[in-house]
Amino acid sequence: MPDVYTDEWYDAVRDAMNASAAKLADLPEGAFVVAIEIFADGCSPYVEEGRERRFLARIEGGRCAWYRELDSAEDERAEAGGRVDYRFRGPASSFDELAAGLADPIDAALRGTIKVRGDIRFLLRHADHVKALLDAYTSSVATTWPEGRPPYGGAREGGARASEEAAAPEATAGA
Amino acid sequence: MRDAYDVIVIGAGHNGLTLAAYLARSGLDVVVLEARHEEGGGLCTEELTQPGFLHNVHANYHTFVDMAPPLVDLEVESHGVTYVRPEVQMASVFDDGTALTVHTDLDRTCESIARFSEEDAETFRALYSEAHGFVDLLLGTLMYQPPMSLKELTKALSAFGVEGRSKFLSVKLRRETIDTFLDQHFTHPKVKAHLAFHGAVCGYANDVPGLAMSYPLLVGKIDNWNLCVGGSHRLAHALWRDLAQHGGVMISDAEVASIAVEDGRAIGVVLADGTELSARRLVASSVDVEQTFLRMLPPGAVPAEMLERIAGGAIAHQPWSLFSVHLAMSETPRYEAAAFDPDVDRAWVVNLGYSSTEELDADWREVRAGRIPDVLRPNAAVNSLYDPTDAPEGCATGLLRQFAPYSLAGGGPAAWDDLGRWVGQRCIDAWRRFAPNLTDEAIIDWAPYSPADIPRKLRNMVQGDWMMGEISLANMLDRRPMPELAQYRTPVQGLYMAGSTQHPHGFVTFAPAYNALSVIAEDLGLDKWWYDV
Repeated sequence: MPDVYTDEWYDAVRDAMNASAAKLADLPEGAFVVAIEIFADGCSPYVEEGRERRFLARIEGGRCAWYRELDSAEDERAEAGGRVDYRFRGPASSFDELAAGLADPIDAALRGTIKVRGDIRFLLRHADHVKALLDAYTSSVATTWPEGRPPYGGAREGGARASEEAAAPEATAGA
Repeated sequence: MRDAYDVIVIGAGHNGLTLAAYLARSGLDVVVLEARHEEGGGLCTEELTQPGFLHNVHANYHTFVDMAPPLVDLEVESHGVTYVRPEVQMASVFDDGTALTVHTDLDRTCESIARFSEEDAETFRALYSEAHGFVDLLLGTLMYQPPMSLKELTKALSAFGVEGRSKFLSVKLRRETIDTFLDQHFTHPKVKAHLAFHGAVCGYANDVPGLAMSYPLLVGKIDNWNLCVGGSHRLAHALWRDLAQHGGVMISDAEVASIAVEDGRAIGVVLADGTELSARRLVASSVDVEQTFLRMLPPGAVPAEMLERIAGGAIAHQPWSLFSVHLAMSETPRYEAAAFDPDVDRAWVVNLGYSSTEELDADWREVRAGRIPDVLRPNAAVNSLYDPTDAPEGCATGLLRQFAPYSLAGGGPAAWDDLGRWVGQRCIDAWRRFAPNLTDEAIIDWAPYSPADIPRKLRNMVQGDWMMGEISLANMLDRRPMPELAQYRTPVQGLYMAGSTQHPHGFVTFAPAYNALSVIAEDLGLDKWWYDV
């Protein structure tokens, strides 16, 4: 069972999304680069205060070709070749809750917790496919949470990373 | 004036200027041709009453500040545009001396609503919170991109299960009126009246089926009404300045007589004085469909059947307009309702008396039948409360607007010329009923501006239609202004539509130009430097 936000976990997420997409007919054509920005919110122990975690995923023919973490915005520009089609940005605890299957990505987007930028028309036109990918991301990968699993409760004073309760490794079962 | 440009834009309203400025920044050689003596279109500020009193003749409320990409992309702030977001945005005053106020502070708005109904206050908080959350997403989806079809949209909402996640969003809204929506969620007649009034001022009549679909979005920006300091025309200056700084040209008093078409492609224009200008890449019209297709295009440029439909009224116009009174005053209004809610004296826009949706509905029926309602309930804006530069020191400006027909039963639009002063006085009397300090002595001067005056000044606002197209389900998204033109392209190659006739609609949204730009960029293979996700 991979630790969250590790290469092993990214591969597992990618495989889960592709398995989910494979069940659908009429996958959208073309390639898309998706950027994900997760910023520290004083709750999640997985993003240090004042820092951001950045990810890039490439979707080709409706399947996730790769999904990787980057060190900086410069890396993003280099990896994406100057072209990002969609950007998802939100607080770390919200993304953690999504990964743990505790929150709903559509809710998060609708309520503005996670901001979505890009040609939303394409996402709407391929709603079934998008939903399949999101469902896989949020509930299909059995994950270990080495620094505590969400939900975290309120913001931590001074952005301290771990309470005793949250520090214990825990797992979320995949659906 | 040179005789060849890459791009010719017809009409220097905010959409024409915006499109031109983006294309100039893209390195194209751009000219904007304006029939009037100055740029701006609806961004028109004039000293209609007395020197020193600035009156926004058309656009007064800028509700897309902080949302519209062009404000950032074209750096309008650096060109001298400043906005004020009044703390007390809007109010309703009622015949019984009570008042409801909408603030930039949600808690204060809810406190005001709670004085009428605590249940409604909680509902409003829930609706606002939900709507405010998805405003960004919906704006990005529905306004600042070329339109999808309603069918595609409802299918997607269904696939994402939006209905089950929202207390307020529902597929059935596309068949319902704003009245129905308000009846389903709110209880107090005055609360419903105020919320319906807000929709009406935005151009969304509360009794039109289907408009409930847009209502949550309207609530999401109910507290985002902004005032352009120094008058709305400042924004037009800023857009022009940006265009000029990037090599573009705006020529006033340059009425386009015709669009030159060769082998099915727009290749230039001919001005009313006979000057010929050629367009190497494209011609974009930001004026109305009727002028563009019936007056400017040569016979045979587009299918005759399409022209017949346009000539036959295929372009739906708002079946109501606005009668305005611009006032120069020696003092600001002091409402009797301030005894109930002192904040009403600080409200930027005030609904003078609609206390139920039924009253609004009755007026819509009268107006659509070409009649002036018996009891006038105009809305009043006092810009100088928040922008002292609008009036000489110690004085104030006022703007009254009454929902009214463009064509009067029995006399047509010309009948307004005899009625303007009379209706204007009745509007002032209606204001005075709630703010008795606005005596004849307090009103230095005033000027009526009737629905018939609207197209006289801005001819593209056909039939006094300040939205440049009806706000209705049948004229929305990919059906506006007609399916063949909805994606900003036309049957004539190299001719684009980029004005408020297009999706989403009028108002200072910049969206028609921004979306046309996106289509033009695709067709010309331009680098979309402005598009950064």
